[in-house]
Amino acid sequence: MQNVKQIFSIITIVILSIVSYSCQDKEDPTLTTTGEMIVKFDNYVGNQTMVVDEVGSTNYRYTNNSGQKFNLTRFGYYISHIKLEGPNGELFIDEMNASADANQIKGYYQVVQGNSETYNIHLKGIPHGQYNKITFNLGVREDGIQEGAVGGILDRAAGGWFWNWNSGFINYIIEGHSDASLRDDNRVQIHIGGWKNIPSGDSTPQRFFDNNVDVSLPFDATVTVSNTLRPSPHIMMDLLKVIGDADLSTENNIHSPAAGKAFASKLAGAFVVDHTHQ
Amino acid sequence: MKSLHNKVLWPSLLAILLIWMGCEQQSEKPIISFFQFEKPPHFPEPTYTFRNNEVNEKGFNLGKMLFFDPSLSRDGSVACSSCHVQSHAFADTWLHPFSFGVEDREGKRNAPPLFNLAFHREFFWDGGVTHLDFAPILAFESEIEMDISFEDVVGRIQRNDAYKALFKEVFGIEEVTGPYVLHALSQFMLMMVSADSRYDQYILGDQQALSAVELEGLVLFRQHCESCHREPLFTDLSYRNNGVQRQISDLGRETITEVSEDRAKFKVPSLRNIEVTSPYMHNARFEGLLQVLNHYTQGVQDQENIDPLIFKDGKPVIQLSEDEKTKIIAFLKSLTDNNFLSNPIFFNSNDR
Ligand code: HEC
Ligand code: HEC
Repeated sequence: MQNVKQIFSIITIVILSIVSYSCQDKEDPTLTTTGEMIVKFDNYVGNQTMVVDEVGSTNYRYTNNSGQKFNLTRFGYYISHIKLEGPNGELFIDEMNASADANQIKGYYQVVQGNSETYNIHLKGIPHGQYNKITFNLGVREDGIQEGAVGGILDRAAGGWFWNWNSGFINYIIEGHSDASLRDDNRVQIHIGGWKNIPSGDSTPQRFFDNNVDVSLPFDATVTVSNTLRPSPHIMMDLLKVIGDADLSTENNIHSPAAGKAFASKLAGAFVVDHTHQ
Repeated sequence: MKSLHNKVLWPSLLAILLIWMGCEQQSEKPIISFFQFEKPPHFPEPTYTFRNNEVNEKGFNLGKMLFFDPSLSRDGSVACSSCHVQSHAFADTWLHPFSFGVEDREGKRNAPPLFNLAFHREFFWDGGVTHLDFAPILAFESEIEMDISFEDVVGRIQRNDAYKALFKEVFGIEEVTGPYVLHALSQFMLMMVSADSRYDQYILGDQQALSAVELEGLVLFRQHCESCHREPLFTDLSYRNNGVQRQISDLGRETITEVSEDRAKFKVPSLRNIEVTSPYMHNARFEGLLQVLNHYTQGVQDQENIDPLIFKDGKPVIQLSEDEKTKIIAFLKSLTDNNFLSNPIFFNSNDR
C-alpha cells in the first residue's frame, strides 16, 4: 500500500511538472528542429534589370514586344501564403495573420522595387529537412481584407496598395510613362487587384474577379534546412512576360478586377526560380 | 485502493486542472465595461469583426472626436459630421441633396443615414466598400468629400499631441497608424444602433405602441415593400433598380461587379428614421414620402434591369389607393427613433 501511494505521488509530481513546463514554454519548444530560408526576389524587364525612375521621367529604358517604349515609376507586388515542400513529405506553411498591430502581421510580404530591403523574404520556423518547391499566393486574399483595418505593409496610410472605392488590395502594381500613351504626362497605370469570384449561374454572369494568383515553382536543386544550413532560392520575375504584348496606347489605365484579369492570367508565368544557394 | 483514489488521485487531478486553467487564463483580459455594443434582441447577429475591435467608451469618444474634426479635411472646412447629421439620423440635411465637400464641390449621390452599420455587409450606395473600417478611407480621399489622402489624415493626427496621447490611452500605441484611426471611427459608428422606434416597441411586445392606422400601414407594408425593405433592418441588403433615374447616368452596382446586369442597381436603403432623411433615393429625386409612393405606383417606367417586383408586363406592380398610401406613410413615421436622434452620447464634445 505504501508503495502504491509513493508511485502515485511520483506520477502526480511528474504530470504536474510537465503541465507547468508546457505552460511556460509556448515560445520555442522546437528550438533545435527548425531552421530558416531566405527567398530572394529579383525583378527584370526582359533581360534588363529593373530600375524605377522619378515620376515625370521621359527616360524610356524599356521596350515592349511591339516596340513601344516605357519606363517605370512604381512597381511591386504582394506575396502571401508561402508554402515549402520537400521530396520526403517535408512541409512548411508560413503562418498567416492580419491585424491592426503591425508587429502581429504575419505571412504578408510587399516587394517594392527600389527598396532593396523588401526583396528578401526571411522565412523562420522551417522544419529541418530537404526542400525542392515553393508555392505562394501573389496578392492578398479575402483573409487579409475581411478582418477589417490592418497595419504594417497593409496599411493604406503607410504605403499599402489599397483600393478605397472597391475594397481590396492591388496585388501587382505597375506605374510609369510610355510615349505610346496619350494620357496626361504619357502615364501608364496598370493596377491588378480583385479578390473574389461570384461564379456565373444558369442565367447570371460572373460577378467580380479574383486576381490572386497561385505561383508554384520547383527549385533547380534540392536544398537542406538544418542548424547550420540556411538556403536561399533566388526567384526572377520578368515584367515583359506580363505586359510585353500589351498595347500601351490603349491598355494604360487599368484599375479594376475585370480589366486586370487578362494581365493576372500571365502573372504566374512571370516568376521562375533561377538558382538556389545552399 | 478506493480510498487512495480519493486521497491522492482526485486532489492531484484537481491541481493539474487548476494549473492548466491558470495558464489558459493569462491570455484573456478581464472585460469590465458597461459601455459596449449590444445587439437588439429582435436583430440578426452583427457582421462586424468585433473580435478585432471591441467597442469601449474611450475608443468611442476618440472616434467621436475624429468624426467631428474638420481639420481632417484638406482645407479644414469639412468634417464627417458636416454631411452626417445626428438629427437627420446621420444623413445629410435637405439643404444638401448632394452632399457638399471641400470648396462646396457637389457630389453626385445623397449621403445615406448612418445606423445599424454593424449589421451590414457592404457600404455605400454601390456596396463597393466591404468592411465598415474601410468606409472612412473613401470619405477622406474622395475629391468631392474631404479630398485628403488617408496618409495625410494619419500624419495630421500623429502630429497632434492631444490625439497622440488619446490613441496611446485607448490602443496602447506610441505612434498613430491607419488601422487605429479606422478602428476608432468604427467604434463610434458601431454604437449608432437604431432599434427603439415605436415599431420596435410593438415588435417587442407593446401592443399599444402602434395606432390602428399605423398597424394597417404595417400590413400594407408587408404586402408591398417587405420583399426588399425587409424587417427588422428594413433592407435585405441586396442591390436593385427601382427606376429612380430617368436616364441612367449613375451605373451604381455595375461599377463594382463590372457586369451590365447590375447597371443602375443600388443598395436597398433602410427605411428606419425615414421621416428625417429627406431627400430620398441615391439621386435625391424626391423630397416627400408621398412622392416616393407615387413613383412606385405611377412614376416608374420600364428600364434596363428594372426590378420585376417594381415593374412588370408594361406596368407598375405596386398598386395603392390614396388611403393606403396615407396608411403606409403613417407606418413609416412610426420608424422614427427619437431616442437615437437625440441620444447625447453622440453629441459633439470637441472644444473648438
Ligand atoms: C461631403 C459630404 C460627406 C462627408 C464629409 C462624409 N461623408 Fe460619408 N457619405 C457621404 C455620401 C454622399 C455617401 C454615399 C456615397 C456613395 O454611396 O457613393 C457617404 C457614405 C458613407 C458611409 C456608408 C453608409 C452606408 O450605409 O453604406 C459611411 C459609413 C460614411 N459615409 C462615413 C463617413 C465618415 C466616417 C466620414 C468622415 C471621415 C464621412 N462619411 C464624411 C457624404 C459624406
Ligand atoms: C424591388 C425592391 C423594392 C421594393 C418592392 C420597394 N423598394 Fe423602396 N427602394 C428600393 C431601392 C433599391 C431603393 C433605392 C433606390 C435608389 O436610390 O436608387 C429604394 C428606396 C426607397 C426609399 C428612399 C429611401 C432613402 O433613404 O432614400 C423609400 C422611402 C422607399 N424605397 C419606400 C418604399 C416603400 C414604401 C415600398 C412599398 C410600397 C417600397 N419602397 C418598395 C427597393 C424597393
